[in-house]
Amino acid sequence: MRQKWILQAMLLGAVFFLAVLIIKPIGVSTQFSVLSGIVHSTIDPNVITVDESRDSGYRSTNAYYDKSEGKLAKSIKHPINYDFVFVLAIPLGAYLAHLLRRKKTNTQNTHEEVYSEPIPELPKVKGNFWRTYAPSFLGGFIILFGARMADGCTSGHMMSGMMQGSVSGYIFAAAVFLTAIPTAIIVEKLSLRKVGK
Amino acid sequence: MRILLAIILGGLFGFALHFAEASNPKKITQMLRLQDLSLMKIIVFAIGFASTLLFFADLVGIFDISHLSIKGVHLGVILGGLIFGIGFGSVGSCPGTCVAASTGDGFKKALATVLGGLVGAFVFSISYGWFKDLGLFSVMDLGKLTLFSISDEFPSLFSMGFIGLLITGVLFMAIAVLLPTNPSFGNSTVTETKQTDIGDL
Repeated sequence: MRQKWILQAMLLGAVFFLAVLIIKPIGVSTQFSVLSGIVHSTIDPNVITVDESRDSGYRSTNAYYDKSEGKLAKSIKHPINYDFVFVLAIPLGAYLAHLLRRKKTNTQNTHEEVYSEPIPELPKVKGNFWRTYAPSFLGGFIILFGARMADGCTSGHMMSGMMQGSVSGYIFAAAVFLTAIPTAIIVEKLSLRKVGK
Repeated sequence: MRILLAIILGGLFGFALHFAEASNPKKITQMLRLQDLSLMKIIVFAIGFASTLLFFADLVGIFDISHLSIKGVHLGVILGGLIFGIGFGSVGSCPGTCVAASTGDGFKKALATVLGGLVGAFVFSISYGWFKDLGLFSVMDLGKLTLFSISDEFPSLFSMGFIGLLITGVLFMAIAVLLPTNPSFGNSTVTETKQTDIGDL
């Protein structure tokens, strides 16, 4: 199965195409703003208020939720919409793929496949809760802060954007790889040094 | 109906991400260290393939161009992209893939990334007004610029329409096929034996 990658690529590409054909281009990162906004407006109910004079029907004291005639404010108040449910459905599909893969490897365990190896569990002696999860948390923070600033992520800007010939998609991709490649190399060097000591 | 489609398409997307192993942070970091470019091949080919399908959908007249959605160009795209890259490179995850990875292997770390992402998105929401006043979104504002004139709604660089998407689409797919999976300049043998990720620090 040397050409498996083409199959994987065609499925991924087909999904991006189907999404824009049927509804709209795929985007994920906005929904992080929506979910954090739901928490925000639950704790502080005054941040988003009803305003009938607007198309969206909402107004917010927060400039971001209020942007584009309160578009985000409306999504926060009515989260059962296409974009939000789309993102909630992602783990379901991924879990299905996970189960299928596990089933496949269980039935043919003589045939070892590198890709199906589960991520090795961390040795229990090493590291505590914070050392294990703080880097992931911090990484997520940086990723979404950057994605919201750029108004899109790998899905929205890079994949959906470049597929449509969007100039911002190309610019985003160039900027991302400019820092991502050196960062990935430096992080590996640092961790190898620690492991090797 | 739209909600049902959201579940189907979102589920398909999650399935495709997992199937392509894009939800595995190790695959992403190995790609970024230029040691294993198989995921890069997949991404580049997928973009090209989707572009080509768009061209044909338009050709046979089944594509509704009001579905197109182009994001604007401004300084925030560059700065945000540079910041994004630091996180992307260090944890090997992005908004879509960490959501996809929140089930299955490594889900605890993925959930930590999702939580961090929610806080990051929230801090941005709070600071948006400040960035806006600084002019982050108005400097270098080129609007919703596209390469090819696929819709009157957006300004474009070249007036060749959807045929441009066919050209870039085929080009992307060709590049993907030609890209080596294991470039010789990456020390791939090191990572085969010592797979590391930031969590092992």
